[in-house]
Amino acid sequence: MSALIKLELKKVKIGWYVKGAIIANILILSFLFIIGYVEKWEGNSVFINYDEAFIILGALVRATFIIFAAVLIVKLVIEEFKNKTVTVLFTYPISRKKLMGAKLMIVGCLTFITVMISNLFLLGAFIALNFFFDIIPGTLPVDKVVPQIISVITFAFATAGTSFISLYFGMKKFSVPATIISSIVIVAIISSHNPVFSVASNVYLPLLLAVVGICVAFMVIRRMEKIDII
Amino acid sequence: MYIIKTHNVTKFLQGKEIVSNVNLNVKKGEIYGFLGPNGSGKTTIMKMLTNLIKPTNGAIEIFGQPLTPTSYNMLGRIGSMIEYPIFYERFTAKENLELHCNYMGYHNKKAINEVLEMVHLTNIENKPVEDFSLGMKQRLGIARSLIARPELLILDEPINGLDPVGIREIRNLFQLLCKEYNITMFISSHILAEMEQIADTIGVINKGKLVEEVSMEEIREKNTAYIELVTSNPTKACFILENRLQLDNFKIIDQKIIRIFEQSVTQSEISKAMILNDIDIESINKKITSLEEYFMKLIDTEESNQVK
Repeated sequence: MSALIKLELKKVKIGWYVKGAIIANILILSFLFIIGYVEKWEGNSVFINYDEAFIILGALVRATFIIFAAVLIVKLVIEEFKNKTVTVLFTYPISRKKLMGAKLMIVGCLTFITVMISNLFLLGAFIALNFFFDIIPGTLPVDKVVPQIISVITFAFATAGTSFISLYFGMKKFSVPATIISSIVIVAIISSHNPVFSVASNVYLPLLLAVVGICVAFMVIRRMEKIDII
Repeated sequence: MYIIKTHNVTKFLQGKEIVSNVNLNVKKGEIYGFLGPNGSGKTTIMKMLTNLIKPTNGAIEIFGQPLTPTSYNMLGRIGSMIEYPIFYERFTAKENLELHCNYMGYHNKKAINEVLEMVHLTNIENKPVEDFSLGMKQRLGIARSLIARPELLILDEPINGLDPVGIREIRNLFQLLCKEYNITMFISSHILAEMEQIADTIGVINKGKLVEEVSMEEIREKNTAYIELVTSNPTKACFILENRLQLDNFKIIDQKIIRIFEQSVTQSEISKAMILNDIDIESINKKITSLEEYFMKLIDTEESNQVK
């Protein structure tokens, strides 16, 4: 399996993902900083407290990397079918399930790790910035550090699972737009955040979507052996 | 021993019967020419042989073992190029071949240069495959199918897009592979003259049905020679043939051409009779029905049968 993953990574050349992730992190940080700083300068705080800031930060990270995951799915899975390279790939003496499993493993693991690292990095960076510019009123609740980290990990897992949902729409006609657009719709659903009802701070809906996503992934893998490559 | 055997293989796609009750028998070490017009189901059958498509009904046996959706090991012994030479276009030829070897589990670094030489593909260093011409892709596709030393080669229209020199090179390569390496080859084509030169057995498919499966030897025997006479005075020539030589199995093809199918009479006897009767002969020679005519006849009878 690890050999298959290596071959897949060789094929898609993962450099763009790493670069993209770094740029996205910088953008998210600048975005949060500018909003927070400008609003404070004008006299009203956007971030009422640390919790609020962390929710928005987390939601931005998850939204970004679900769309990144959709691009990964396009490159690893959809394009292979669209460009018909799958007619070569499936004539190798390797189980189709394993081939597809390796691809989806890359999507899942990469999303999980990137969401987690980005989230932790941004939390740290934002707290550091806040130390100098005092964007968020109140003090850092030290007792919440451990629960916050646990929550980051849980959300990262949920995000990785959720990212597979767009696979369902993409695989229907091996369509690139369907994959990307469905991921944007999913992002819109899970990132909505307002004082009345916040999906973004709720961990259960993402976990539920993660279950759906993982089911989709398994369904796609299982179906591989039955489908005709025309 | 049969390398490929299919039993009543049938395939429905979107409710349409693409392939119906096909029974193929490909012997070990032979070159099997698979002929058929466009859309006759050739590619579908070849995809079924490589497990890309599953038959709706019937069974396929390869290397004497039944082909099932999970018989992956068998695929390691088959080299194939089906429909169109497909590659990871952004990679160079060598990268594509390396990738292929990795997936095939074949580790022999020398093999890459060997096969590139075999198909005469040169000056391709650092050039992505997307910049290749169809002929070059075709050669690279053949190289890829060969690289892991398969026992069975399944090639769909391998000489498509090649120039005449290329066609000859590839033809020689196929004959070498068959004789020296004892590789069984299943090759589809619609260039009949090519098939005639290399194939040992011919399978003809039309509208999803296998119309005929016959050895080239048999075709050559069955379609015995006729004598073609070209003369400026065919009416008189016919009269001579009928009355002096007592022949009735002949036919006027064109304004000037007469074909004599009668076996009892030799070419010199005919010329003699013509000269004695003062009929000029523009040319006279023995002909063998080409595979093309044989093929057209098969397809035509098939078509007229369906009209009835």
